[in-house]
Amino acid sequence: MRGLVAKAHGRRQRLLSRLVPYLLLQALIVVATILGLRLLQPSDPDDFAVSDFSLYEDGATRPVTLPHFSSSRYSLQDPPLYTGAFTAPSGDVGWSVYLPRFSNAVEVAVNGVVVLDSRRDANANRPDRNTPQIAAIPSSLLRDGANEITLRLFVWGPLKGFLDTVYVGPDAALRPAYETRTLLFVTLPVVFSAWQSILAVILAIMWLMRRHEPVYGVLAVAMVLGVVQAFLTAPVPPAASSRLTPVLLASAPLESALIVVFGVLFFGQRWPRYGALVFAPGLIVFVVGLIAGPPLPRILFLVLGIPTVGVCLFLMACITAAAVVRRQDAASFTIGCAVTIVLVCWLHDMLTVSEIVTNERIFVSRLSYSAMLVAIGAGLTWRFARALNQVDSFAGQLVSRVREAEERLKASFAREEERARAAALANERTRLMRDLHDGLGGQLVSIVALSERGHEGATITDAARAALKDLRLVIDSMDDIGGDLMLALGSWRERAAAQLRPHDIALDWHVATPQGLPLHPELRPWHVIQIVRILDEAVTNAVKHAEARHIAVTIETLDDGSGPYGAISVADDGKGFAPTAGASQTARGLRNMRSRAARCGAVLDLTSDGSGTRVRLQLPQVFPDSDAAAG
Amino acid sequence: MTQQGETGGAITILLVEDDAPTSWRLQDALVKAGYEVRSAGTLGEARSLLQQSAPQVLLTDLRLPDGHGVELIRETRQRFPETEIMVISALGDEESVISAITVGATGYLLKDAFPTDIATTVRDLVAGHSPISASIARFIVRRTQGAAQGSAEPSSGPMLNTAKLTPREIDILWGIAKGFSYAEIASHLGLSRQTVPGHIKNIYRKLEVHTRSEAVFEAVQQGLIKL
Repeated sequence: MRGLVAKAHGRRQRLLSRLVPYLLLQALIVVATILGLRLLQPSDPDDFAVSDFSLYEDGATRPVTLPHFSSSRYSLQDPPLYTGAFTAPSGDVGWSVYLPRFSNAVEVAVNGVVVLDSRRDANANRPDRNTPQIAAIPSSLLRDGANEITLRLFVWGPLKGFLDTVYVGPDAALRPAYETRTLLFVTLPVVFSAWQSILAVILAIMWLMRRHEPVYGVLAVAMVLGVVQAFLTAPVPPAASSRLTPVLLASAPLESALIVVFGVLFFGQRWPRYGALVFAPGLIVFVVGLIAGPPLPRILFLVLGIPTVGVCLFLMACITAAAVVRRQDAASFTIGCAVTIVLVCWLHDMLTVSEIVTNERIFVSRLSYSAMLVAIGAGLTWRFARALNQVDSFAGQLVSRVREAEERLKASFAREEERARAAALANERTRLMRDLHDGLGGQLVSIVALSERGHEGATITDAARAALKDLRLVIDSMDDIGGDLMLALGSWRERAAAQLRPHDIALDWHVATPQGLPLHPELRPWHVIQIVRILDEAVTNAVKHAEARHIAVTIETLDDGSGPYGAISVADDGKGFAPTAGASQTARGLRNMRSRAARCGAVLDLTSDGSGTRVRLQLPQVFPDSDAAAG
Repeated sequence: MTQQGETGGAITILLVEDDAPTSWRLQDALVKAGYEVRSAGTLGEARSLLQQSAPQVLLTDLRLPDGHGVELIRETRQRFPETEIMVISALGDEESVISAITVGATGYLLKDAFPTDIATTVRDLVAGHSPISASIARFIVRRTQGAAQGSAEPSSGPMLNTAKLTPREIDILWGIAKGFSYAEIASHLGLSRQTVPGHIKNIYRKLEVHTRSEAVFEAVQQGLIKL
């Protein structure tokens, strides 16, 4: 328990140690953003400001000072009419009228002649953009001295109308301010939207290639919505309401909901159970926009859509904060800071709309949203690059590991081969020693013994011949016969015939089946030696003890259904013997034959009676691999 | 047991063997069979005896005190094409027999052969019947297989050119290697029993490499030497 508590405590400490610096950083960013918004306020040429107007509205006239908020209205009939005056000096300098900010549309007349109607420029009427307008005043309209300027402000709810200070003066003096605002509030958004559309394409391709990562698809949809919102233009109200209106209105809440989904997926958080609810406000706005007439969707957008954007931004801030605490990586830091900036801008716009903060009614949410796009683009690129690096290093590691393993394997293979070769050599040497010891050694020793005892030449001759025969057998067995026992038997036939010729014994050689014996790829020299020694023993017995006149060797291949096997039989027509007879030399020879047969997996069958002796050797289907019985 | 046999005049034999007991033994067996035997213990002695007259049969050991029997065989083959040459081998191993055959020998004699067999072998050779053992036949046919498979790995033992052998001759060699008698081989292959020994001698002749340049030429033909 104590351990658990300590663990929980440790976790809390770690959480605090990570969260607090992050929150402090965000606070710093909030301050910096506010300062930035204040400092970056575009300045206007105050020398040419016209602020004092008389407002004619709802049948009544009253003096007002610009900037001025007019009440919200849903009709374009009888718009508020602002009448003011300015003094134009004599001279032929071109004069202009410059409107930094108005909402929603304005019609400007100088001395009763209309010089500007912003309703004709659909983009200029969008309340979320801060589009400035400038119009040259034809010099023929200007009178020396006092001139009259009238503005009609068209407002469509639910927002209040707004008219910022009007500037009338030499075009050269007004133009720079106009250009600055155009750059900030018209050109820059277009650049950002282009950026967004490119990102949308890239992300869509990423998602198409990596379907298992929906995070890219979600972000691509958000981008597409943003691009649509930026480039579609809302119609000016007198025109029939467009089908595009619901799309335009629903885009912001849907986009922000998608960004939340992106955050959840990107930072690997678990999707909450009712997470889909975040899409509800956007969808409601969309559906209502499809069904209802003009004012309602816009009202709904104000009360439902815009707060949704805020909520989503707040959720996103929480998600990124959690990710920062958990992961402490560059991507979560960057996106977190960007979300904070957008959130501050959104709050700024809310305060502006609700007139708590009085300024020139400049909306910055949309602009700051681009800051988040920069961050997301950077984050994705960072992640992509890191993944590529990981793949590279992984591939490199893999290559070097494979090479190492290959070399180790090669070395061990060579070692193994060397060992196997050494073992085979040792085996072969052991076998050769044993074969020579079994036959040649014993026979030479007996030759020595016979010579020392002054024996008859004939006995010594026999022993020496036996030794020579055995030497030939050992040498012969070293030859590669390719598993064909018939080749070994061929040599043996010659030796046996030579052995029998002086004794005048006929060797009948009978191969019963055309191919002789089956091929045995597993046949080894030591098998051959054992078999030939068995046959030698049978022939020697027939010569020495049986007084035979004929020896018949029959070779055949049999098949009892379970595969072919060979059989060799040696039959003589001698007097036979009793197989059970005591400890004589014959009995020892028989034991030898049986043990040799057993070592090769062969079956020895011996029958003997008065009409002769028959030794039948039934070969195995497969010769045993190891000389197990040899030990 | 008919060592006198149908030999016309006395067959003249030159026996070259440095081991005295072996030499006596062979000489006894051959003289007993009625052959005229001159014997030499060294290469030099053999050469000086050859200066006097050409024997019908040359029997020579390979390892001699002053040189190798192969030289003697080659010289004799060139000077006296009519002389039948046999190599005396202790074990009848292919190493010694084949190397003798390639320089012109047409038979071999085992040092421990029984006296009757010694006489019979020489008589058969003069009659045109070359002896061959199963292991020699096996060695030759395995070489033909190796050549057919074009194995790059050089096989052990003396170099042997088997390209001139006909399929029939190879069949005969197979039969001998597997221990079949001449009669069995003849009936298997549909030959007359008497023709088989002649085939054997032809085989020996075909395995002979006549000159050094011919040997090189054939080695190139066989792909044994890469130019």
